[in-house]
Amino acid sequence: MDKILDPRLQRLTLINEPLPAKPELDQLPTFEVFVKSRAARPWRHEGSLHASTLEMAFVFAKEQYSRRGTCLGIWVIATHDLFVTDYADNQTDIYDQFTEAPGCSGEAWEVFHMYKRGTQHTHAGQVSAPTPQAALACARNALERPRPVLNAWVGAAGKFRKSTPEEEAMWQTTPEKLFREAIDYKTNEKIKAFKATQS
Amino acid sequence: MYGGGYLFEKTSPDLLKEEDQEKLAAFEARIDRGEKIEPHDWMPKLYRQQLIRMIEQHAHSEIIGALPEGTWITRAPGFKRKLGLMAKVQDEVGHAQLLYSAAETLGKSREQMIDDLINGRSKYSNIFNYPAYTWADSCFISWLVDAGAIVNQVANSKGSYGPYCRALERICIEESFHLKFGHHCVTYLATGTPRQRQMMQEALNRWWYPMLMFFGPPDKISAHTEILMRWKVKILSNDETRQQWLDMYVPKIWELGLTIPDDKLRKNEETGKWEFTQPDWEEFKQVINGNGPCNKERLAVRRMAEKRGEWVRRAILVKASNKKYVTPLA
Amino acid sequence: MNTTALKELLYKMADDQLIMGHRSSEWIGLGPLLEEDIAFASKAQDKVGQSLALYQLLEELGEADPDTVAFSRPAAKFHNSIFTELPNEEFDFSIMRHFLFDTAEYYRFELLSDSTYEPLQQVARKFTGEIRYHILHANEWIKELGDSTEEAIARMQSALDKALPYALGVFEPSPYEQKLIDSGLFAGEQALQNIWQDKISEIIGQTALRLPAWESIEPVYGGRAGHHSEHLQPLLDEMGQVINSEPGAEW
Ligand SMILES: [Fe+2]
Ligand SMILES: [Fe+2]
Repeated sequence: MDKILDPRLQRLTLINEPLPAKPELDQLPTFEVFVKSRAARPWRHEGSLHASTLEMAFVFAKEQYSRRGTCLGIWVIATHDLFVTDYADNQTDIYDQFTEAPGCSGEAWEVFHMYKRGTQHTHAGQVSAPTPQAALACARNALERPRPVLNAWVGAAGKFRKSTPEEEAMWQTTPEKLFREAIDYKTNEKIKAFKATQS
Repeated sequence: MYGGGYLFEKTSPDLLKEEDQEKLAAFEARIDRGEKIEPHDWMPKLYRQQLIRMIEQHAHSEIIGALPEGTWITRAPGFKRKLGLMAKVQDEVGHAQLLYSAAETLGKSREQMIDDLINGRSKYSNIFNYPAYTWADSCFISWLVDAGAIVNQVANSKGSYGPYCRALERICIEESFHLKFGHHCVTYLATGTPRQRQMMQEALNRWWYPMLMFFGPPDKISAHTEILMRWKVKILSNDETRQQWLDMYVPKIWELGLTIPDDKLRKNEETGKWEFTQPDWEEFKQVINGNGPCNKERLAVRRMAEKRGEWVRRAILVKASNKKYVTPLA
Repeated sequence: MNTTALKELLYKMADDQLIMGHRSSEWIGLGPLLEEDIAFASKAQDKVGQSLALYQLLEELGEADPDTVAFSRPAAKFHNSIFTELPNEEFDFSIMRHFLFDTAEYYRFELLSDSTYEPLQQVARKFTGEIRYHILHANEWIKELGDSTEEAIARMQSALDKALPYALGVFEPSPYEQKLIDSGLFAGEQALQNIWQDKISEIIGQTALRLPAWESIEPVYGGRAGHHSEHLQPLLDEMGQVINSEPGAEW
């Protein structure tokens, strides 16, 4: 091996031999993250992550999914706590599968819609119902949908870790971290001055 | 970051014959209409297999790609560079996180992918097997290697698999910061003192040919990928991405008064194509097969990180309320 | 306003944030889990960013510019606590240090939100929000690792035992302590330490870890006066290697 150039690595002991096969992989549960970036925008699914607990997932979500720009808060839920519908065929509405409207009371559920393939799920609203399927049947009439819904997710409101109003302060300085933004690295003047010295 | 030159498995037409032809036709019609494929949709085995392979290699390239620039993270000169480089390398780790999630939706767990990486069963972008000798090498990577990755990632974000496209859209936004940061760093060196200039020129000399190789072998000698192009898994050919990069960045390198170490390099105005001295493709093969200057170190570092983190992951796993793994929705 | 006392306060805070952030940055790309790698890297950036803001306050008070101050002073002129300069070791010590340090940092900034020196008051108010995340992060890690596998508990206990004397060194009294308090610039190290001990006990109390009696811990002082361990100068040499290789150049 050539000389190690990274001083951080010079202080550690690297492992040159393949590791023995693991009896079991360190497989952590997965979580889904929703972000509200502006007041006028709905909560939007931003992606997934691995974590141990819901609280740890919340801690991780903040820096992986909201470390730039403005953010008003995040919601996190375990993937296995989300009920996921099939994907409807084009032009049909997934709500066609949820017509049996039972009593719309009971637990509170957050409902998310995907309107077009390739896009992110966004929050449609909250309904009360006894089960996730029932929640969709209730959402069918209770929640607005500008066009047919291709796929829906439903999660019990109580299963989310939602940021609190006091926690909003954690994002207060995020927009000011300009060292993470392209806009903070302007080169025009420097290049212009350089060219002037060349000619 | 990542370039072209993905290593696809040989595609066997037999694998397609076994598929349900009606479903296959519907799948292809969906792609032809420009619609995305989502995780729960029916897809041919070959599509799944090649996508996993490609996204996994891309993810590996991000975490391995964090190492050459990481070489300079504790030595970045001044607050602006220190903060910028930390944020840049952090983003690369974040890209790996996003891409592993996208690959996971296809049925391979992140832990399995990492296990395959550290035990040499998987590949990553060849360019990260070269060392970053000086601060200027790190600047070259931030600007020009990322620029190469962007050409590829922008193309791939128009691919057919929904979760991969969504990950790439996020990634491309962050890449615009990497590109500007890198260009800023290179500009300051190239327009700086004679020693800084020389430092930058030497880095350019070292990285020029690995950079040309980054996009993969010329189309005429690389594996046939027609079906992958039809399925919008691979979007641009190796030569197309290389030409795009040359077109966009050669003038910008020249503008800084730097000399590209190839006197044959020129744009043929008739064909609109760049002509250049081919890199040593034998070296490329050697590096892919594990014999580059840093291959062993890169894997040794990942193994060390894996091993150092093992007790941590085991400990928090005990705290997991639900230990059953569910494929993420990405 | 007592400028000497104020500068001393600003220097020790800025140096703490810088050295802590620098140490944390050594983990970037090498963390135990991708998600944690990212969270840790953000904390590193925040701390370095906070140090920059404090060095800027010093510049306004007539000190040299932040790059010069941060990258070219010798160890003996640094006022960070020895705690921050110790090597990272494994994740156990790194996260334990964060927990102990971040808690002190959070309440220091909170106390300074009432400082009579307005520029400092503003900086403190501005950063308490982001530091709130730092303690959320550290507390969660301590609660999880401090109460899980036998190995983790043993590791975290020995990290705690090793860290505590150094952590108390964060509260090394300033020669201007009384002046700072009297002028309302800062409530003082003792006041901060009292709050800190309560918070640390509260979190550790939720784990399987044992906290020794506070009186039994001998604080490691010296850092505030420029008397450092053997670890600081090499860290500074490394940090300044490139910028000092070509004096006067812009990078
Ligand atoms: Fe990048
Ligand atoms: Fe990247």
